[in-house]
Parts: sequence; structure tokens; C-alpha cells
Amino acid sequence: MALWNEHHPEVRINLEKVSAVGGAQYAKMHAAVKVGDAPDLAQIEYSVVPSFLLDNSLVDLSAYGGDRYRYRFVGWQWQQSVYGRSVYAIPQDSGPMGLFLRQDLFDAWGIRTPRTWAEYADAARAVREHGAWVETFSATNGNRFAALAWQAGGRWFGTRGDSWTVAIDDAPSLRVADFWSRLVDDELIKTIPDRQNAWYKDIQTSDIVSWLGASWGDALLTGNAPDTAGTWRAASLPQWKRGENAQANWGGSTTAIFTDCTYPRNALAFAVWLNSAPEAVQLLIKGGYGFPSAVSGYTTGDLEGRREFFGGQHYSRIFIEAGKAVDTSWKWGPTVDTLYQRLGDAFLEAIGDGTAFRSVLEEVQGETIEDLRDKGLKVEAGRSSASG
Amino acid sequence: MKRPTRTEARNARAAFGFLLPFLAVFLLCFIAPIGYAIYQSLLKVERPAPLGIGGPTNEVWAGLSNYGHALEDERFIHGFGRVLLFGVVQVPVMLVFATALALLLDAASARWVGFFRTAFFLPYGIPGVIASILLCFLYVPGISPLVEIADSAGWQVDFLGRDAVLWSIANIVTWQFTGYNMLVLIAQLKAIPGDLYEAARIDGASAWQIVRHVKLPLIKPALVLTTVFSIIGTLQLFAEPMVLRPLGTSIDSGYTPNLHAYNEAFTSNNQHIAAAEAVLLALVACVLSFGFLKLVGRGPRDGRDGK
Repeated sequence: MALWNEHHPEVRINLEKVSAVGGAQYAKMHAAVKVGDAPDLAQIEYSVVPSFLLDNSLVDLSAYGGDRYRYRFVGWQWQQSVYGRSVYAIPQDSGPMGLFLRQDLFDAWGIRTPRTWAEYADAARAVREHGAWVETFSATNGNRFAALAWQAGGRWFGTRGDSWTVAIDDAPSLRVADFWSRLVDDELIKTIPDRQNAWYKDIQTSDIVSWLGASWGDALLTGNAPDTAGTWRAASLPQWKRGENAQANWGGSTTAIFTDCTYPRNALAFAVWLNSAPEAVQLLIKGGYGFPSAVSGYTTGDLEGRREFFGGQHYSRIFIEAGKAVDTSWKWGPTVDTLYQRLGDAFLEAIGDGTAFRSVLEEVQGETIEDLRDKGLKVEAGRSSASG
Repeated sequence: MKRPTRTEARNARAAFGFLLPFLAVFLLCFIAPIGYAIYQSLLKVERPAPLGIGGPTNEVWAGLSNYGHALEDERFIHGFGRVLLFGVVQVPVMLVFATALALLLDAASARWVGFFRTAFFLPYGIPGVIASILLCFLYVPGISPLVEIADSAGWQVDFLGRDAVLWSIANIVTWQFTGYNMLVLIAQLKAIPGDLYEAARIDGASAWQIVRHVKLPLIKPALVLTTVFSIIGTLQLFAEPMVLRPLGTSIDSGYTPNLHAYNEAFTSNNQHIAAAEAVLLALVACVLSFGFLKLVGRGPRDGRDGK
């Protein structure tokens, strides 16, 4: 920010930080859009871009020549913000997923790093025998569940003609639900919320010894469990089929420009600079923003600022490889915030009542179709022709 | 009909002049927002463009369909059930505490009255969000010393569990508002003329009898007032579940009606449905408050008639 202002005295940027707890930042932005007081630019996640599109609150960047910057960014991340023939946001970063684990304890207990989900379930059992837990299924963490469904081949949203399609209960997603349902039933994993005080305490005290996280998780672990430095390693996500290489993305964001912006051309220039100029990308990496969407301007060394924490492992390679194998046809729908909330509510209920997670997806599928309809949209159940 | 004299007309104008500042603020800050909420609750959005992207968004008349939507939403209705259960338990408990504290501080033998009054009142000065954050450190497993102590005694407690969390919230609310209600009751106790006590003592009443037959009946208006405030406050329960929600696995997005409306407006961006829910919440608060007033307004008189 200060760097841009130094080099571009004619276009000054002011920054407002907003709290990013539980989607509160989007609440604020939606409200700001409603009253016509939106900022010029904002950092928003890929998954909520469509919800802002519904209110016509994002500038169509293609109209300002935005398309010519596409080759500066990873293809599928660019595609995430393309709806119809227009691009609506400049990608900033992504969150290729991986498995963070306490290698010291896995080694001491003679547990191999799981390569498949079946091995993962075995590892969960083995870890439990030593009094620890392999993971927590956080009911309110809808975005991680979505990522795992994405890995399995689920495609929750799509378009067919001028209708949205919704398939939250598609076969791959049900498979993921059944898997976690089983682990919870067998009491092999915890059900506390992750990335909250109780969870931080658990990773500090080795009560929880691994975490299905994403590339940005290195900063999180280092910051919250500094005393466990050197004992963690990163590994690739377990696979559904041995030898396959299906990966997932959790999080990641874009820089979008709101339609209230008086100087969209300058704002676009800034958004592109922020996310692709080498000096800006370096700053984003230092700030722990995750994996840059820019294709150049940094080295793997830049991405590994926390190597000692991972015992000298070149951990970024795991995530770089993961990033290459993310299925790129996944699309987000216009009610993702509501969807996460519905998933959270239904998972909470299922965990409380001991019912199978399968029913959660079936319930949320119906609710989501209703939600889109209530927004005044055309919607169909089932897979879109584009991905099917 | 008699025409108003000039003096009367002038008086009326003067009265209106004095009323004007109040009326202006009242209309602007009270009637206008309510009117706007009701208006919003009768609209809905249509997005005729393909996928709803790029085209116009039209606000059209929706009639009562947003109300229908809200009333069909099980989570919203469950939220009402929950706050009513909360109110039935928490409000009496809190007011019994408040009354007891008020009577203790009002007792002739009480010492350090000023200090204790301030100390009991202090939690009211702490915003609900901060109070919830403070108390959550006693609730969250892994951090809470209480959970740890119970654990080492072999007793599994989970303050944020499904059955417990409502009462954990009740604990926060009670802690926060007992002192405030106590203060209202003390104010009323102070207004009781001393000669009533004197008369009671001359008649040989014990301290307990004075409480029972003089003080309690005379602070009834304050008790009614604090009960109505508490009923409304209970229905509006919001900050505490909002803060505790991410910490556990028991509070869903519609835990209280207010939380439901909030999430409808700001998570799902459905302001019109949220407006309908807010209006419904206000209606229920109205009905319960006036219902309660009617109940206590009539109750004792009927009792006397029956004797």
C-alpha cells in the first residue's frame, strides 16, 4: 500500500481493515453496497464473488481491458471470477490443501503418513490408541468440507443456460460425508471448532496431531504453536484412489472493484499491480496471504519463510504440486455464505443427534435451491452440463 | 361546542411548541425506522437477467410472503421457543437475586452500602460483547480453570454443550443485569416514606414482616417495570450467543430470533426477509409485555375482590 503510494503519487490508496471473523467482513460490504458507500476495491474470497455479482456491485473488468492481464495469473484462479464472458475480480492468492502432521509423534507411534483416505482412517484409530486425536471435524467449517468434496470430484454449483444448477448431494460429496460421519461415529476424531482457542490449545499440547489445512496454514501453526517448532511436516492430501493425484483448494481471494468506484481504470491498475508486480507479491507473501495467484515474481524460497518450523522441509513444494492438480471446473454459486451457514447448522444438529452426515447434504441441497429461488433466480437440481 | 378562547389557543400553540423537539426526535428515531422496516418487509427482489448477473435488480411488492417465509422457517420459530424458555427461568432468577440484594442494601444494619451498590452495578457498565468474551474464558474447555478443576475431579463438564450453553448464556445475562435491576428496586425502596416503617415497628412488625408486608408491596411497580424490561431484553438476546457461537458446536445461526434476523440480513443478504422477522419479533415483544402488564395490573385487584 505505502509502496504503491510512493511510486504512484497521482493515485492514492487508503486502506480500511475489516474484521474477517466468520464472514463479518462481507456483512459489512453488503451493507455498504446497499447504502451506496462501498469501498473502491476490496479483498474478497473466490467463493463470495457471485454473491456480490447478484447485487451488481462488482465492476465488469473486461469493459476496462482487464482480460489482457489474464496471462499474469494462474489460469484456473483467473477463471474462478469469470461469469458469462466477463471477468469480475483479479485473483490474489489461493489455498492449495495439504496435510500438516506432527511427524515426531507419527514416527514415535509407528504410524505411516496416510496416502489414501482409508489409511487416514487407520491412522486416526492408531493415533487414538495413544490418547491423541488426528483431527477435528469442525461443523461450522463449511469451506473446508466444500474443499474436500471438491477434491473427491463434487461440483456443487454450475450453470445451464440461464439457470443455476445445485448439486450439493452429488455422489462424490456424499462419499466425503459418509467418510467423516463414520469417523465421528467411531469417536476417532473430535468435533470441536478448529482455529479457535480450544483447538489452538489442542495443537500446543499435542492433543490433536494433524490438520487438513492449506498453504496459508504455515503461518497459523507457527503463530499459535511456536513451542512445537521443528516437529511438523506437510504432506499431500490423502487420495480416494491409491496413486491418483486429486487435490483441493481451501480459501484464496481476489481483489474486486465495486461499482461505486469513481476511477475504475486506476483501481484496476492498482489491483493488477498489487497481485502481480514482483515487489507487491513479495509483500503479500511476507504478510502471510497464501500462495500468490501471479505466475511470476517470486521463488519457492520466498514461500518458505517458516522452514525451521517444518524441520527444514521444503514444504512449499507440497503445496505447489497440489496447486497444479486442483480440478479447475469447480464453480461457486451466489449464496455460498448462506450455504456455509446451513451446512454449519445441519452438521451441528447431526453431530448433536448422532445422525448420518449424508442427510445433512440432502437437507442443505433442498434449502440451497430454495435460497436461490428466494433471490429471484432460476435454479435446477443436478449437475450442470458444463461439468457433467 | 365552545370555540377555544384566544388564551386557550395560545396555550395550545405553546404546548405544541414544547412538544415539538420531542415529537421530531420521536418521529425521526422511532416511528420512521419502524415504518421503514415494515415497508421493507413487504418487498422482495427480482433478478430477471440470466443467472441474475448483469441485469437490473427490481424491488417488487411481495405482500406478506416474507412473513410467510419467516413463519415457515423452523429455525426461526425454534429460536422463539428457546428465548421463551430462557425468559421463564432466567428472568425470575435474576429478579429474585436483584430483589434480595436491594433489600439487603436497604436494611438498616447494612454497612458499606455505597461500595456494594457500585460493585453490584458495575457489570452493567460492561458491554454485552465484552462480558461474553470475559466469561467465555471460564467456559471454553482447554482454557477454563473451572473445566480443568472439574476434570481433575473426574467430572466432565461442558459449559458450551448443547444442553448447557443456554444456561451459560443465562449466567452471563444474570451477572450483567442483576445489579441494574437492583438499582431500580433500591431507588423505589428509597422512595418509601420512613414513617411507614415506624408505624409498622410500633405495631410490632419484625424486620421480615416489614419486608413482606411493607417493602415488597410498595416496590411492586418497580418489579413490574424490571420484569417488562427483562422480557424485552430476553427476546432481543443477541450479543451473547453471537460471541459464544464460534467457540462451540451448540449455537446455530438461528439460536435466537434476533441472531436469525441478523444472519438473514448480513450473511444471506436478504434484507426484506430480515425486516419481516424483525417486525415479527417486535410484535411478540409487544404482546408479551402488554400481556404481562395486563396480568399483573388485574391480578391483585381480582384477588381483593375475591376476599
